[in-house]
Amino acid sequence: MSEMDFKRSPELSVGVELELQILNSRDFDLARDAADLIALLEKTPVPGAVKPEITESMVELNSSIHKSHDTLVAELKTIRDAVTQAAQRLNVRIAGGGSHPFHMWADRRIYPTERFSLLLERYGYLAKQFTIFGQHVHIGCPDGDAAIYLAHILSRYVPHFIALSASSPFQQGEDTAYQSSRLNTVSAFPLSGQIPFVQSWDEFTNYFNKMRGFGIIESMKDFYWDIRPKPEYGTVEIRVFDTPLTVERAALLAAYAQSLARHILTQRPLAPSRDVYVLYSHNRFQACRYGLEGKIVDPYSQRQVGLKDDVAETLALIAAHAAELGNADALARLQAEIAADRTDAGWLREAHRERGSLNDVARMQSDLWMGLDLKAG
Amino acid sequence: MTSFLPQFPLSANPLLLFGLLLLSGLAGGELARRVLHLPRIIGYVLIGLALGTSGLGLLDAGLVKQAWIVVDIALGLILFELGRRLHFTWLRNDRWLLATGLLESALSFGCVYFALIYFDVKPIFAALAAAIGVSTSPAVVLLVAQELKAEGQVTERALNLVAMNSVIAVILTTMLLPWLHHEYRASWTMIALHPVYLLGGSLILGYLASVVAILFSRWVGKHAERQLVMLLALIVLAIGAARMLELSVLLALLAFGVFSRNLDARHDLMAVELSGVGQMFYVVLFVVGGARLDVLGLMTGGAVAVVYVAARFVGKSIGVMSLTYFSGARAGAAGLLCIVLTPMSGIALALVHETSNLYPGFGAELASIVLSAVLILELIGPVAVQFALRRAGEAKDQAERAPGAA
Repeated sequence: MSEMDFKRSPELSVGVELELQILNSRDFDLARDAADLIALLEKTPVPGAVKPEITESMVELNSSIHKSHDTLVAELKTIRDAVTQAAQRLNVRIAGGGSHPFHMWADRRIYPTERFSLLLERYGYLAKQFTIFGQHVHIGCPDGDAAIYLAHILSRYVPHFIALSASSPFQQGEDTAYQSSRLNTVSAFPLSGQIPFVQSWDEFTNYFNKMRGFGIIESMKDFYWDIRPKPEYGTVEIRVFDTPLTVERAALLAAYAQSLARHILTQRPLAPSRDVYVLYSHNRFQACRYGLEGKIVDPYSQRQVGLKDDVAETLALIAAHAAELGNADALARLQAEIAADRTDAGWLREAHRERGSLNDVARMQSDLWMGLDLKAG
Repeated sequence: MTSFLPQFPLSANPLLLFGLLLLSGLAGGELARRVLHLPRIIGYVLIGLALGTSGLGLLDAGLVKQAWIVVDIALGLILFELGRRLHFTWLRNDRWLLATGLLESALSFGCVYFALIYFDVKPIFAALAAAIGVSTSPAVVLLVAQELKAEGQVTERALNLVAMNSVIAVILTTMLLPWLHHEYRASWTMIALHPVYLLGGSLILGYLASVVAILFSRWVGKHAERQLVMLLALIVLAIGAARMLELSVLLALLAFGVFSRNLDARHDLMAVELSGVGQMFYVVLFVVGGARLDVLGLMTGGAVAVVYVAARFVGKSIGVMSLTYFSGARAGAAGLLCIVLTPMSGIALALVHETSNLYPGFGAELASIVLSAVLILELIGPVAVQFALRRAGEAKDQAERAPGAA
């Protein structure tokens, strides 16, 4: 069985990976306790999985496979509570958000595994700058050809995912003016970008083999694309989300992606278009820089549209599919948050205005993720 | 005549002394690091030994007394910083850490006390020496951790244990004072009220300082430089007030640190870095500490000192090894924690010093037991801490950890 055999997965199922920040409790800078945290969590039964990431200040939580929003959010809350409890025993904190507001990348330490050491050797300082935190959403596909189609159509909606999840306004102690500054860091990697404009799984496998033949890559893991097929899971993986400030928000975003995917795979509403990729960088930049206030060019209608309106139209378009999946309530909540202009980047900037200190921002964002803010007052 | 010229013999002054101690200590530290690859602290202590009564005799008792104000400031800074590490929330969330601190303190007291009794030390001396032995040098642990830029569970847990056993050592020593007063036939009011005054007064002083610090920083806002100066002012003020009121400088400053961390519910105080400013005081602290140590005393009282050191290590280690497993620490952390708790220095010297101020005769005898042990531990301690923190993989200057290493 080769790596490129596309495994069947429950169609339109959804799974979530969350990269999270580990902070110390003294000044709320990033800490180095990933190995201790993972070791402690191994002693307690937690659903899903807890894994190391490239630096010792990060931890990745994986949900299991879900059919809809409600079971997903319930499981994510259970994992969150277990992780929170373990973190408290180590006197560290866990926070969401796409970036830590003031850590210095040079202070980071690579997590000791063979693969991560190799990445440090290959990419130099980029490996440490990669201490940024994303949410990955997996959507189950019936076969490889469907995965390729889904990836191309979802690419048109990448600005939505970025704007809805944006939670990295601060980097290295400065306000970046971006809603999501995280993706600028990803773009520095030579194998970042988008899937090539192939139309079938066979064509994609040829591309993969060619790249491997050149010695450019060894496995699918080496592509840092915004959206990539994951044959071993039988999924398409959307990787442009910043990790939201709460697991509840993470589940809402997953519900949005899952409902949209159902619309795309059952209706086949659009044909893959090169224009999506012609306009891709511009549209992606607009979403990173301005969030829902950004203006993109719709590659299909060739008109300029505000992202907020575009998301609203999409929500209406996929409403029936959301209902079918049991995600209607979740998307209604997402819609209400959009209408109220509640975004994670906005929350972080507001916290900074209120307290005047990025240490406090980091503390408050960990209070929020761990669910301590109500008790602490 | 040339009356504007200084008159011979030239007379030294405290500033000249401070500068010289600082410079020579610094040079010693640098030599220790470069030539011997040892922690700088060892260099400071060795320079102190060389200049002090055991060496060239340049730094005699009179000069040590003049330098004591610097030692006070250094200890004050360290105890404040240590107190800020004692995080009640953590002790609530990981009760086994609290239990570990209590047990290792109790066992080290018990082991040292009975070991000294067994070697025919009078009970009152044994008890006070054991109480002092509960403490681990916060200065050594903090400074070595800072020198290595160490960060991680072993470092953080060690600092919390050090904070706990320092508090316990100071309180135990204070509670033994009635016995000492009784032994010296002091009045009943002295016996009954002195410890109450010391404990209560010092805690209240620390509490007040922390309240002022929190309110002041709320007013100043989140400006690291201003908060730093404010804290330095309050630390010096608290030391001065404790001296003026004949309270315990150690306890007052520890309490200041503990309260300012744990009462600051609105997070007004920033985690400002005192170590930069503190560095020059810390160097002198160890040089003066070294000068007070008596190598000849070690030759004669060596056996007792070795017993003391061994009993203390056994007590602390049993305590740490038996309970750390239940806490959130990773496997292997317990052994390293035992090693980090080895050093004794500043607090022990200060406790001996404070007892000597009460009863000089008693102080001299107590010193002969404790200081020999301090001499051993002041030289072994920094190496032990450096070894353990590196072994834990928590030092920053280490190369990226090899893959697969835990």
